[in-house]
Amino acid sequence: MLTVDCVSRIFQHGKAGFRHVDFQLSKGEVVGVLGTSGCGKSTLLRVLAGLDPNYQGMIQTSAENPDQAFGMMFQEPRLMPWLNVIDNITFGAKRASSQQQAEELLETVGLAGFEKHFPKDLSGGMAQRVAIARSLLHQPEILLLDEPFSALDAFTKMQLQDLLLSIWEKHDTTTLLVTHDIDEAVYLCDRVIIMRGQPGQVESEIHIDRPKPRKRGDAQLAELKEEILKELDFTKT
Amino acid sequence: MSSRTEVAVTPSVKEKKKKRSFPFWKSNVFLGSLIPIALVILWELSSRIGWVAPHLLPAPTTVLEEVVSMAQSGELWGHIWITLYRVLAGFLVGTSVAIVLGAATGYSKIANQLLDPMLQALRAIPSLAWVPLFILWIGIGETSKITLVAVGVFFPVYLNLTSGIQGVDRKLIEVGRMYHFSSVQLIRRIILPASFPSFLVGIRSGLSLGWMFVVAAELLGASQGLGYLMVFGQNTSAPELVVGSILLFAIFGKVTDEVLKRIQTRALRWQDNMENAS
Ligand SMILES: Nc1ncnc2c1ncn2[C@@H]1O[C@H](COP(=O)(O)OP(=O)(O)OP(=O)(O)O)[C@@H](O)[C@H]1O
Ligand SMILES: [Mg+2]
Repeated sequence: MLTVDCVSRIFQHGKAGFRHVDFQLSKGEVVGVLGTSGCGKSTLLRVLAGLDPNYQGMIQTSAENPDQAFGMMFQEPRLMPWLNVIDNITFGAKRASSQQQAEELLETVGLAGFEKHFPKDLSGGMAQRVAIARSLLHQPEILLLDEPFSALDAFTKMQLQDLLLSIWEKHDTTTLLVTHDIDEAVYLCDRVIIMRGQPGQVESEIHIDRPKPRKRGDAQLAELKEEILKELDFTKT
Repeated sequence: MSSRTEVAVTPSVKEKKKKRSFPFWKSNVFLGSLIPIALVILWELSSRIGWVAPHLLPAPTTVLEEVVSMAQSGELWGHIWITLYRVLAGFLVGTSVAIVLGAATGYSKIANQLLDPMLQALRAIPSLAWVPLFILWIGIGETSKITLVAVGVFFPVYLNLTSGIQGVDRKLIEVGRMYHFSSVQLIRRIILPASFPSFLVGIRSGLSLGWMFVVAAELLGASQGLGYLMVFGQNTSAPELVVGSILLFAIFGKVTDEVLKRIQTRALRWQDNMENAS
């Protein structure tokens, strides 16, 4: 579905960004990206989304409509402050049917009744949920999520993770999920890419072959978590 | 434990206080008009007692009588009407030109490089310096006055609009690019609404400059208008005319600004600022 071949994007004379990133996503696969802060995860997503053309390497998609294939949820909510919640969710939507879908999505992210609120009246987590709803409305073939649940409480987070699971089941959306939450990665992803360093490089890749839906307390997942933690260890050289 | 209870109780006490402490004598209107009213009373008294010479500063009641009698004779309305017309026409012309040029320089780099240095240089000329030139070019008719007002209105609107457009958050524009917006869509759906607050600020200061320039234009050569009334009052030693015109300018300036301010608060309900905090 998506082939990333030796892609680099370097800032500050080779001191930041990421370097020589290779991976492939097959259709319907959910891949997590874990990595220390500043190792270029958001930059990677921006490059993939086509927002940053100054990269080296090759990116190929086999999507039906490569131009419109990507949907992106940014690390910040990036809501239009002058639009209310419901207009923010349908922002950029072309179909007329999206109004109703937006209402439904709003309900699934637990914000029914907030349609007419402006972003300034939302909490950080609420704004993030609106942003999630906005990125899901378009049903893109490849979904890029940049720490989608970072501002949410444990319970809401679990609910929304399950929402993602159900969306994947329904639409078979290929997803690249940047996260800092290792539990989330092992719960949701088929594969986890671990990045390290500045500029960031792919350190290792861990396959998670457990069938979904998984149990959150699964012993084998706990082992994997241990392994990932080791890989991320700062002090390791 | 006891300190904890205190913490829990404090907010409710505050709430009560807030509700109770909103009697009339603490309202904005009252507090804001306290000093002006006192000054007017002092002014009236000092004219009556004779501290100030009435041929220099007439008492407020004298001014009011003069204004009312002019209004009754119908003479005043012509002056008010022509001044309002000049401000409004100049305001519309200045704002329209500023929108076109400001949008161009704000959005297109080339237009910015071509136009902005020149406009900035023109801005350095104190705008009243244009008066003789305009009178020379277009005569002392309506056109030169409206042009002068338009020049005054143009710069604040232009400057605020350009800086508003240039200050639009790149992150929001990226959201539009994710949806493959065309340039027109980007402008209409992100850039315009995002720069709107700064545009409104420009319009408000433009309007107040417009009032300033209409006075200048009418002082320098007019046979009608509130500014002309002032000159007339000066020449005929009628200070009540001068003061009355000043008051009328103040009233109209305030009213028109208030209209824009209302529009501003209406249109910018979404803004997260001190004013909208509830
Ligand atoms: N436009 C830019 N110009 C210069 N440096 C940049 C630019 N964008 C990002 N960087 C640098 O690239 C590095 C990686 O940034 P990035 O936002 O991708 O990190 P990240 O992995 O997403 O971190 P976090 O987990 O904290 O979100 C940072 O050191 C940042 O300073
Ligand atoms: Mg990031």
